[in-house]
Amino acid sequence: MPEGILCNKTPVTTQEALEAVLADKGGKQYYAEMLELEVDKAKLATSLKNTCKSRIRTWLEMCAHCGLCADSCFLYLCNDRKPEQVPAYKIQSTLGEIVKRNGDVDNAFMRNAMEVAWSQCTCCNRCGQYCPYGIDMGIMFGYLRGLLYSQGFVPWELKIGAGMHRVFKAQMNVTDEDWTETCEWMAEEAQDEWPGLEIPIDKENADIMYTVNAREPKHYPEDISEAAILFHVAGENWTVPSSGWEQTSLSLFAGDWEACKQQVEHVYAAIDRLKPKRACGTECGHAHRATVIEGPYWAGRPDGLTPVRFLHYVEWLEEALRLGKIKIDPAKRIKQPVTLQDSCNYIRNYGLKEITRSIVSYLVEPGYFVEMSPNKEHNYCCGGGGGFNGMGIFRPQRNRALMVKRDQILATGCKLVIAPCHNCWDAIRDLEEEFKIGIKWSFLKPLVIHMMEVPEHLKPKEEEE
Amino acid sequence: MYQIVTGPLLWLTFAVFFGGLAWRVYTYIKGLDWKLDRVAYGTQTAAGIRGAARSIAAWIVPFGSQGWKVKPIFTIMFFTFHIGLVVVPLFLVGHAVVFKMRFGIGLPTIPMALADVLTVAMLCAGVFIIIRRIALPEVRIITSLYDYLLLAITMAPFVTGFMVVHQLGGDYQFWLLAHVITGEIMLLAVPFTKLFHVVGFFLSRGQLGMDYGIKRGGLTGSPMTW
Repeated sequence: MPEGILCNKTPVTTQEALEAVLADKGGKQYYAEMLELEVDKAKLATSLKNTCKSRIRTWLEMCAHCGLCADSCFLYLCNDRKPEQVPAYKIQSTLGEIVKRNGDVDNAFMRNAMEVAWSQCTCCNRCGQYCPYGIDMGIMFGYLRGLLYSQGFVPWELKIGAGMHRVFKAQMNVTDEDWTETCEWMAEEAQDEWPGLEIPIDKENADIMYTVNAREPKHYPEDISEAAILFHVAGENWTVPSSGWEQTSLSLFAGDWEACKQQVEHVYAAIDRLKPKRACGTECGHAHRATVIEGPYWAGRPDGLTPVRFLHYVEWLEEALRLGKIKIDPAKRIKQPVTLQDSCNYIRNYGLKEITRSIVSYLVEPGYFVEMSPNKEHNYCCGGGGGFNGMGIFRPQRNRALMVKRDQILATGCKLVIAPCHNCWDAIRDLEEEFKIGIKWSFLKPLVIHMMEVPEHLKPKEEEE
Repeated sequence: MYQIVTGPLLWLTFAVFFGGLAWRVYTYIKGLDWKLDRVAYGTQTAAGIRGAARSIAAWIVPFGSQGWKVKPIFTIMFFTFHIGLVVVPLFLVGHAVVFKMRFGIGLPTIPMALADVLTVAMLCAGVFIIIRRIALPEVRIITSLYDYLLLAITMAPFVTGFMVVHQLGGDYQFWLLAHVITGEIMLLAVPFTKLFHVVGFFLSRGQLGMDYGIKRGGLTGSPMTW
């Protein structure tokens, strides 16, 4: 059987196809079909010819096999320093072989490559920092994921995830109607406590257009009302688009570049339509990566920039605190040891390390903030990046991967971890569940809401005496 | 024989060495693709060059990068090996004499004692690198015969050169010839093997520096601390 019914080289583009793959619980049939999936060697060779250019070929050829990347990789460290987990080995034995054999590889090879690409690398890009040549194996694994995806060798959840983006323009089956209804509902709920609060939908020429992670409307709608409260208190002229509100990209994890392009163009179309002065995304790492860092390139923008300046949530919050739009009540500052998780996607890969630390300086009583070690752009991945959190077949590997972050947190002695990234937040939640180290973890929004000073005119009237 | 290897063959070697490296630089840069690499080389060039310079500078200086700092012993060995490898052949009195004789060009030189120290240190570092390859599982798994061959090609001219200078090993003519030939083999190997990192280091480190300088925070965030 060259192509399976569920496991094949064709992306999911219709709701029916999506439902069929979803109905296959845990991907049982999907993975059974993958055992028989044929490799289209000619297509693979053509892909290499068209997309594997001097940067990647030079990286593969020039690697001096010095092994300096080994210790940089948190998956090497938490897997008993197994030599098979050395980044150079992982990439040379997968992508390196595919390139060497010009695509002449078989099914078993591709299935192994899939396992390596999705369970032995989270594309955190830390190895590139520690290679004298700057060989960034995270980038190469991202590229390899694209090749594997195009041949149908992709974990079940990510085939679905990429399909969701193609069908719903969101990583979960949240329609534009679901989204706007959730916004209206959240605004109504918050209005009791915050008179005058609005979630303005499709307001043109606003100062800020806000975008989210689809799991917020799906599972954590309070995140949306928290964002609304903070914009409200800061007196921000903001809006959300009715369409193009979803900023994440499971297709980035899947290596489905066409879906990545469609998704980000959908967000940019909302910017073109509503003409905000700036845009701002939620507390998510890969969403920022997809929309702001890689997105402009997927959309073919030669300047490599978003249509308008697109802030990460921490940039907006830092600005609001710095300009005094949001004031923290000194009595409510955090007075317990607290540490901060640096998200790979916007700290290492977008340089916002000082921004998050500036926020910490407003929220935490001096003397209580403890840095992880290593930290800032040298921090380790949370253990759940690059899609690792969401793949059933690689759950044991993912749980093991959490040990590095667990030990980093334990070493700080803190019981509270600020984690302004959905993926990191999930991974830290899961590590607490798995290892019970007695910590709490939080996004920034709820912390700030709890400790900010609310101006008199924004308080509910009945409180007045 | 000596006339040939230090005459036409030497010219040929230099031509292949420089021509090959120029070709490497040309094809690398030509193969960079802003869309595939997702780095706006062409439109954000100034930020890119800044990023490239920072990235190269951090790694070309001993202990300049975090990567060097966490591996102090390897770093010392690495720089000992490379400094010997570059400085001795370029500034050796013996080479300068030949150069002056052949081409009438005078070259700056270093004292012989320093050349000796650098050569011996470079060879010791090379031995350390070989032992490290065998001893450490994380290096052994990625090491192939090719890596040892390259080390042999690189170290041979220094072993033979040392023999010549100190007139060791009896047959002076033999060692002289062996030195010239191994030296030429090394230079010839550079463009065709991963020894092309002579230029490739600057290209590749520079490219990642551009990536960070342009896309990954260089334009908006704090610069990367390599």
